[in-house]
Order: sequence, then structure tokens, then C-alpha cells
Amino acid sequence: MKKALSILLVLVLMVGLLAGCGDKTGTGTPVSPPSGSGTSTPAKTAEEGKVFNIYAWNEEFKGFFEKYYTVPEGITVNWIITPSDGGAYQEKLDAALLAQESASPDEKVDLFLAEADYILKYVESDLTMDVSTIGVTAAPTMYQYTVQAASDSQGRMKGVSFQCCPAAVIYRRSIAKDVLGTDDPAKVQEAISDWDKFDAVAAKAKEKGYYMTASYVETYRTFSNNCSMPWVDANNKLQFDPMILAYLKQAKEYLEKGYTLPAGIWDDEKNQQMFATGKTMCFFGPAWYYNFCMGNAMDPEKGCSGDWAIVQGPQAYFWGGTWLLAPAGTDNPTMLKDIMDTFTINEEVCSKLVENEMQFSNNTKVNQKFADDPNYGNEFLGGQNDTAVFVELAKNIKFEHKTQYDQLLNEQLPGVFLDYFLGNITEDQAYANYYQYVNEKYPAIITPDEA
Amino acid sequence: MPRQIEENIAIRRHRSVSYAKWGYLFIAPFFIVYILCTLIPQFLTVYNSFFESYMDGLKQVGPNYVGIKNYIALFTPDSNGVIGIIKYTQNTLIIWILGAVPQFVIAMLLALFFTSYRLNIKGQPFFKSVIYLPNLIMASAFAMLFFTLFSNVGPVNQLLLQTGIIDQTFDFFRSKVSVRLLIALMNFLMWFGNTTILFMAGIMGIDQELFESATIDGANSTQVFFRITLPLLMPIVVYAIITAMIGGLQMFDVPQVLTNRLGNPDRTALTLVMYLNSYLTPSKNYGMSGAVSMYLFIITAFLSMIVYRSMIRQGTSSRR
Repeated sequence: MKKALSILLVLVLMVGLLAGCGDKTGTGTPVSPPSGSGTSTPAKTAEEGKVFNIYAWNEEFKGFFEKYYTVPEGITVNWIITPSDGGAYQEKLDAALLAQESASPDEKVDLFLAEADYILKYVESDLTMDVSTIGVTAAPTMYQYTVQAASDSQGRMKGVSFQCCPAAVIYRRSIAKDVLGTDDPAKVQEAISDWDKFDAVAAKAKEKGYYMTASYVETYRTFSNNCSMPWVDANNKLQFDPMILAYLKQAKEYLEKGYTLPAGIWDDEKNQQMFATGKTMCFFGPAWYYNFCMGNAMDPEKGCSGDWAIVQGPQAYFWGGTWLLAPAGTDNPTMLKDIMDTFTINEEVCSKLVENEMQFSNNTKVNQKFADDPNYGNEFLGGQNDTAVFVELAKNIKFEHKTQYDQLLNEQLPGVFLDYFLGNITEDQAYANYYQYVNEKYPAIITPDEA
Repeated sequence: MPRQIEENIAIRRHRSVSYAKWGYLFIAPFFIVYILCTLIPQFLTVYNSFFESYMDGLKQVGPNYVGIKNYIALFTPDSNGVIGIIKYTQNTLIIWILGAVPQFVIAMLLALFFTSYRLNIKGQPFFKSVIYLPNLIMASAFAMLFFTLFSNVGPVNQLLLQTGIIDQTFDFFRSKVSVRLLIALMNFLMWFGNTTILFMAGIMGIDQELFESATIDGANSTQVFFRITLPLLMPIVVYAIITAMIGGLQMFDVPQVLTNRLGNPDRTALTLVMYLNSYLTPSKNYGMSGAVSMYLFIITAFLSMIVYRSMIRQGTSSRR
């Protein structure tokens, strides 16, 4: 009896050891029902997968998708959302794309979203497919830079963008009145039409006790978007564009003179400046910024909705554009084409994006319609027709000199240099720290101290 | 009769051999898992450290054999003459000591108070649970909490401003001293409960007669502590220090979350494991991270040996 019990115990222990091993096949059999769906031909859907996997880094597109897109019958949409901080989203996406071939049809990536900072990496690789093969082409109503960004070096388009994101200076009307004597957009634009004038206004604002911006990182993207050379040259050597150096100089000056705060771009300290009690004159951002990120300003009790307006500011730039990219080997090509067309060519959906969601769609015709409409105005901006402003700004957007290393090189540059801006370390030390950071993140880049 | 004795001996011998077999069988699962999941990966880490292997975007570079190039890269000074890995070792040790010294001192005091018959503290289970609770908090959540508490618009700054202790907001995360102290404080809060209970167990294991005879001989509390309690507690204290040091050298989640992965200001809060981790995302640089792992292993072994040797010698000499 005792012997039997001890044998049994040993067997149980052994089974516990082997419990972790198992089959890694996906759940559910990859047989799709031959049902006809509303939007695509019955013959095609018989071959398509039942599960549509979408990879994204936030829920923005998910919101629009659920409101304006009808999913064909029998297909379940699966959202895999990973925040993009520190490159986490890219890691997850890379792992999934590299495993695409061996993945079961229900696990295959069917659509993924990408930002301008790292879209090049995916567009240039074979893991994305030419969307002309599924019938999606660059429509004349798309903004040129969105098509350019999604096309590889041989001109093959790998996806589309549903947003065009020209960015503006969002200023507080009441503070502008106090500092400049006017809150009229045309006059404010004249006062800050280039960086020298911007600096001069910052000095004036400081005299009256206001901050020009709420974060030392606020203007970084404006500079980095207007660079005339990429982050690395043809030999993968790191190079600093004059615009980046200009940003470093401005950030140091602004922090020293107290024109801005040592807060990060998403920090609480900056967000608190958006309340009615805030003392900051300018925020930099596109339509989605004041739509999603200025909640404090829209607060019914402590906010100041209506006390804002937008102008181009010292330089045109863009912040985003969310691209819908087509992964190679997807098992739902028809639905993919349908989604891409819905959010770019379908005028009804694009109009709703502008009207209801305060977006700037990737459809010039729709945007122009709203720009020309005299009754269309944004309440948050005191009735200003923001689409009209963005239509003008969108004409000047450049998407040039991008590399696959942009996301992390841009993300932490201001943070690494902050101690230098505050005078705690020397410029040489700051550069040394930055080179160290670059070597850790992207060993393929050759930094000046490694030359 | 002799035949009976022979049979008994044979039966006893037979029984003892079969028990040993069962023993090996029972511990076999642990060793198999250990070899597969710990030992082999350790050898692979050392092996990888001699290769150059990383991801460049979506392309894999390597593994190419490069000998000790990774180790040389680790010890090459940057353009300002600072050798990164030495600096990060200093950071790690300084932060650990700042947290460990209060941790041990206060844990020892608390252990003495709780086990003292004269004080006779009531409600011990309650206190023991409360001081152990911080250990159960996830370190990253704890760090996030401190990040919000001590930010420029957080409660601590507001309190200091309102009570007039400071005139303008003190940026806790821009001063080398305050960041290190904050991390040390978190480590202390999380681990002093554990150490207290360990010391309590150790003190309760000391024979009460020793204390009684010392008191009869006229020793005061300090003499009792330094002459009786501490020497007899030495093995446990050594164990606690070595495990604390191994844990401290591997400090990662608290500074990582508190400084948002950068180890700022000026990389003075960057610990060795943070440095190792920065090589893994996004470039999966197994060569360099393998080299850092080897360095960490050697440092840990070396320091543990020093602690062990010096304290054991101290313990045995004072007993004489």
C-alpha cells in the first residue's frame, strides 16, 4: 500500500514536470464558413480567415473603426494594443510579423498601424505587401506626404493613412490679448511667424508673468520635422542636423530664462497648465492633440474651452498621420482593402471624421468642403474654422530624410539633454550620455566617439 | 540461528539501498529543471558574450565571433573619460548601501524590541504583518506612486511649499542625491520587514539561559547585545547581508520606473541591470548584455566572498 502510494506520488511529480509542454497550435480550426458578406463577393470570402487581427498602440483608431465600419458577418476583429513607449509596440509588432509565415490563419497579423517615426522600417521590408495587389491605389484626394511615407524606395505603396496631421500652435486667446494686445489669429501669426519673433514674444510673455510653452520638449518636433538631412548618413554615422542644434540652443535658453517648464511632453506639470489657472500661452499640436489630450482645458468647471485658437506658428510641421499598413501573408485581403478605402475614399465616413471627431482626414475634397463652410467652426477654439487653417498648413508638410531609427533617437533626446539645459552637466557630458544611449538602442549606428 | 541473522542483515541492506534510489528520484525533477532552465542558459550567456549579435531594425546582425571585443567595449572610456560600467557599479553600490544600512540597523532594533521580555510588546502579529506589507507591493507600482508623489506638482512639493520649508518647487528628480535617496528609501521600506522577521527568528533561537546568566552577572543591555546576541546571530546576519547584496546588485524595477528608463540625472541612477536591459530593447544585443551579465556575476561573487570572509572571521574571533 505504502509502496503504491509512493509510486503514485512520484508519477504525479513527473506529470507536473511535463505539464508545461504542449502543442502550440492556435485555437479553433482554420475553416471559414462560405457565407456571403455584405460588401465583398461571396467567392472571395470563402477563402478568407474568420479572425481579423489588428495591431495598434492606442485605442484611437479602434474608436473610429467601431463607429463607422461595418464588420462583415462571421468575422471577429481582434485588437492587440501595446503602448508605443520605449519601442514596446514595435517589439511586439516585429515579433508577430516575423512569425507571420508560420502562424496559424487565426493568429496572422491582418492590419497594423504605424506612426511616421518608424513607418520606414516596415515599408522598406518584405513583411509588408504592395497594396496595389489588393486593389488599393493612391487616390488623388490623398495628401502627397502620406503616400510618400507609405511607399518604399521603388514606389510601391504599402498602406494608407486615415489622418493627415498638420500641426499648429494652439494659443490661449486671453493670454495673447494680454501679451500682444490682440487674439486675432492673423495678427498673432504675424507676431510669431519665425523663430526670432517667437523668442521675442516669449520674452514679452515672461515680463507679464506667463510661460511661452509648458514643456521644454514642446517645440522639438517642429525642429526635427524640418531637418535637411537624416539622422544617419549613408555609412550609418550619426549626424546632428542644424535644426536639432537650434532646438538644443532654444531649449537651454528657454529653461534658463524661465520661458518654459522642465516638464516632459505628457507630464502632469504640463497638463496642469491647461486649466483656466494655467499661465502658458502656446501649446503645439495637431487636431488630435486638442481633441484627445487637452482634457483639462475642456473641463466644464476648471477648464477654459473657447479661449483657444490656432495658427501656423514659426514653422510648418506635422505630428502623426496614422498609417494602416498591409502585412504580407494576411488571410483577409478583401476586408483589408475595404477598411483602407472606407477611411480614405469614402466621403461620408471622412466627413464624419471631421465633423464628429474633430479629425483632419486624408481626403482633400472633404477637408476643403469643411474649410469653405462658413458655418463650420470649432467651439473649443472659440468658433474658429480649424479645418481651414489645416488645409493651408497641409500644403507645406514635408516627409523627408527619415530613417528607421527615428523613434528612439527623437524620443529621448530632450530627456537626455535636460541636465545640460538645467546647467547641471556640461555639453560634452550630455553628448557623451546621448552617444551611450544611441549605442545601447541601435548598435548599428556609429557614434562620433566610436569612429 | 546464524542463517536468521544473515537474512536480517540482507533484508536491512536491501531496504537501505532502495531508499536511496527513491531519494534520488524525488530530487531529480528539481535538478532537471535547474539544468535546463538555469544552468544551460547561464552557459549560453557566457557563450553569447563572445559574439556580436543584435537586431538592426528587422534584420539580424550576427552572431559573429568577436572574441573579447564586447568586454573591451564595456571598459572603453567615453569622450569624457568616464567608463560607463564603473560608474553604474558605483551607482548600484551607493544606492544599495544607502538603503541597506538603515534596513539592517532598524531591522535589528525592531527585532530586539519585539523579542525583549522586558518590553513585552502587545499585538505583535499585527505589527509583524504591517511591517511586512510593503514587501508585497509590486516594486513598479510603488515607484510609480513615488514618481507622482514627488513630482513638481505632486503632494510633497505642495506640502513643503505651503509649510514654507522651501520657496520654490524642489525638483526631486533632477538632483543626484534626492533621486538616490528616494530609491534607497523605497528599497528600505520594501525589505526591512523581511529582515526584521529574519532577525527575530534568529534571536528567538538563542538559548534564554545565556541571557539570564548574563543579567545575573550584571551585564546591561548594550553588553548583552554586543557580547551575546550579535555574535550568536552572526550566521543569520551574514546570510541576510549576502542575500541583500545579491538583490541590491540586481536592483532594477524601482529605478527603471522612477527615472523613466533613463537613470537620470546624468545617468547617476542607472544600475547595472538597467544598463543590461537597455541593450535588450529594441536591439536584442545578446553580445553586450552577455558581457554585462558576466561582469555582474564576477562582481557579485567577489563581493560575497569578501563579506563572508570578513564577517565569519569576526564572528568566530569574538566568540573566543
